[in-house]
Amino acid sequence: MMLEVSNLRKSYQVGKTKYEVLKGVSLEVGQGEFVAVMGPSGSGKTTLLNCISCYIPADEGIISLGGEPIAALDEQALAKVRNQKLGFVFQDFLLLDGLTVRENILLPRIIAGQQNTNMEQAADHLCDVFGISHIKNKYPAEISGGEKQRTAVARALINNPLVILADEPTGNLDSKSSRAVIGSFMQAQRELGATIFMVTHDSFSASFCDRVIILRDGTIYRTLVNHSGQSAFQDELLDVIREMGKE
Amino acid sequence: MTFSETYALLRRKSRKQYFLLTGCCFFSVLLITAYVCMMRSPTILTVLPEGGDSRKQVMMVFALTVIGCGVFTAYASGLFFRQKSRETGIFLALGASRAQLRRELGKELTLIAFGSCAAGAALGAPLAWGLWQIFRLCIVDTDQMPLSFDPKSYFLALIFSLYVIIMLFLMGARFIRRTNIIDIVQESHKSEPIHAVPRWYGTGGILLLVLGAVAGYMMPTFFVLGLHWYAPEWVDAIFYLPALIGMYWILLHTVVNGWGKHKKYKNLISNSMMKFQGRQTVRNMLVMTLLIAGAYFASFYTPMLGTSSIHQYDSRKTDYVYHWCETQDIPEKAEVQTLAQKYGVEITSWAQQPVAVLGTDGTYSVESETGFGVTYTTEYQELMFENNFISESAYTALTGEQVDVKSGTITGVFHPENGSGGMFSGNAKIITNMVTGQRMQVEPTEEKLMYDMLFGYYVMDDTDYAAITAGLTPEWQENIVFFNVRDCENSYPFAKALFNEIIDRSDETVEVVDSYDRVGKILTTQKGESYWLDKENLAGHGLEMIDYDKRDASDFRIYWKYMPRFRVLDKNDFVRTLAVFLTLFIFISVVCFAAVVIIAFTRSMTIAAVNAKVYDDLRHLGASNVYLYESVRGQMKRIFLVPAIVGTTLIYLFYLMILYFNGDPIGITSSEMAGLASCMAVIAVLSLGFYLVYRLTRRSVCHVLGIRKPQKK
Repeated sequence: MMLEVSNLRKSYQVGKTKYEVLKGVSLEVGQGEFVAVMGPSGSGKTTLLNCISCYIPADEGIISLGGEPIAALDEQALAKVRNQKLGFVFQDFLLLDGLTVRENILLPRIIAGQQNTNMEQAADHLCDVFGISHIKNKYPAEISGGEKQRTAVARALINNPLVILADEPTGNLDSKSSRAVIGSFMQAQRELGATIFMVTHDSFSASFCDRVIILRDGTIYRTLVNHSGQSAFQDELLDVIREMGKE
Repeated sequence: MTFSETYALLRRKSRKQYFLLTGCCFFSVLLITAYVCMMRSPTILTVLPEGGDSRKQVMMVFALTVIGCGVFTAYASGLFFRQKSRETGIFLALGASRAQLRRELGKELTLIAFGSCAAGAALGAPLAWGLWQIFRLCIVDTDQMPLSFDPKSYFLALIFSLYVIIMLFLMGARFIRRTNIIDIVQESHKSEPIHAVPRWYGTGGILLLVLGAVAGYMMPTFFVLGLHWYAPEWVDAIFYLPALIGMYWILLHTVVNGWGKHKKYKNLISNSMMKFQGRQTVRNMLVMTLLIAGAYFASFYTPMLGTSSIHQYDSRKTDYVYHWCETQDIPEKAEVQTLAQKYGVEITSWAQQPVAVLGTDGTYSVESETGFGVTYTTEYQELMFENNFISESAYTALTGEQVDVKSGTITGVFHPENGSGGMFSGNAKIITNMVTGQRMQVEPTEEKLMYDMLFGYYVMDDTDYAAITAGLTPEWQENIVFFNVRDCENSYPFAKALFNEIIDRSDETVEVVDSYDRVGKILTTQKGESYWLDKENLAGHGLEMIDYDKRDASDFRIYWKYMPRFRVLDKNDFVRTLAVFLTLFIFISVVCFAAVVIIAFTRSMTIAAVNAKVYDDLRHLGASNVYLYESVRGQMKRIFLVPAIVGTTLIYLFYLMILYFNGDPIGITSSEMAGLASCMAVIAVLSLGFYLVYRLTRRSVCHVLGIRKPQKK
């Protein structure tokens, strides 16, 4: 398994009240799999992603990446994991405005100190794959939202990570751009063998995944596997969401 | 490209943030260094008496400036790290280690902190010198004015620089240490909402402000007079605390609630923007308010002193007054007339009368250190001070006022405006002839005489005067002359010549300060101690020696015991006499106002930087240019005008209170009224200048936000 999460618990203290956001979540993501996590607001999906990224510490549970537990790693080792083994795609892209598209894509390599001629070739290759070669010397302020997100996907892949973690990657995009970004993920999965773990509230985006985990009140409500193709799978997802709303 | 190069590239792209922080640190250190250099300059210290009010005022405004610049630099640093947080958060999210970031940030901070502090410290002295030279050129220049600096003053500037450097590095370390990456990424979008502020904060704040100002001013007097206790300065300062809290409440209320009741929706956007940058905004406004108050306090010095002094000179009933000890060969009527003729001046009246210097009883303080301030008790002594006595007929001859002092009584002469001036009790009961040792019991009368040129004198019955002064040697005898001239305004050359003649003919036995007391000297010598006002001891007490060669220096003019009082001389030489004082306080007010302008400008530009996206969103929501303009104007008006109004009102009322309670009897004299009117004129001029800065800043902010000034229909 590329990613294993076992009995993950996380709570927040607000004043005197304690909110339990994750109540023992366990899941697995296999190599080359494209998995989405869906759920209503407050179900704990972003918290789950932030725990897996080790951006916030979990209260309890094990997170393993490529069979190696990561939650207990020290600061330095965690930074290395984030840089080498994980790739990140955020809802608001988090590109650096002062760097060009190409420089943004190269950022994880630069941070790792792996400056070589290969890295520029790798970045150019990713630009080709995601159809952003024509804007590679532009700055984020000069490109569209969809292009920004494809840049972010390319950046997430530059270090060949074990897993790409995507937090609402289509949340700030129109439908055309969303389709292009999901297309990029599928392309990464297909052509580069990438493993993708995506949090989304959008059933259309999720319908392209191999598997969708539905969270509700901090626990896994249902896991759906895509056997029937995108359109039918989206209907299936919508049915579950409707069913969840009635309860 | 390496990580360092990437970092440098980003730095170039966001150089405005770096310039802002560097500029703020630079200006803070520059202003503080300039202030310190001036404050500790030998030129200034020579003129400001140690322990005197002027020196305390300079220190007080300095403390305000340090607090202001300190808070402001901390604010600028906070803003810098907030703006840098997104970039740092992204680096961390993508796997950069904290050590990597610490290294890069460390390099930047080293450059910013040391560069700006070194530049500010290096240019502080030239700035102070340059401003001083401009004042010398444009306002007044005297022999005392050449400015010299004490290299030790750089020690204080260094301490402030160290604060800036340490504060920057501590904030930088805390910034890097933060663990929650999500929080770091979102930091730059985070607002700093202020919790709900009850509406009574407004009126409560005003009440606290008044309470603090009154308590802060009154309590030290109560401690001294009521409890016989000189409290440590920090104890006195505590009573001003309610004023500070009150000011904070007023500003909070203004920012969060506003004073108008029916404009909630009209000003919704500008109110909410102000509210969500609340803490920083209020802190900045508080600092500006304090600095404006300090700046005005310093600005009032010159007009207040100038106007009230000129008013007092004009109110004198006699044009020329001088007195001398009988041991001296000072020009009398015939010689003065000859000199007057030489200068074409006509003497219209002349009165010369003898003055006796007699010992009087009195009390002195015995102070004891308690470890918590100083307490004192008063001890009575039958022979304590020297005082000048004239007979009732001499008083009438000099002043033209009929006076009848009964035998066995004495009447003190008080100042028509200042009363006792805090120095003259007028209630001596035992008087002593210091040559014969003869003593006389007297009763001070209820009735007081008022005559400015004889302030501090006692008037006696003619017979009593003759009896007690019998046998006095010339050392204890003086003469006083009152005379008037025709066209006094044009008699300056004559006045100057007579002034020089008096000094040239005075010997070193009378080269003493005005508080030199011959009785005090004898009593001290009898105890085998040396007298503190003897020439050789003055420097040890931080006092300047009286020197005939420095007859135009302010120390000489203010403190010489036999300084003649010639209306035309005093009036014409007023600015020259007090040149250093006046220029120093103008300098201080310039420094404080400069700090206020820099803070207000920076804060306003922050509105543009932080709210640029909000204004974009508002545009997308259909907000008109007029609406956006009014929103910017609403915020900036509060940033500029609220501190200006609160600070100005506060200091003016405080000044009014000081003048009111300082009087004896309490109240405001006509010369103080004239001074207050000139202070009002200063406020008008400076407010106009501040308003222009506000307009220029508003234009810059609108330019950055792409908002046009609406055309008037």
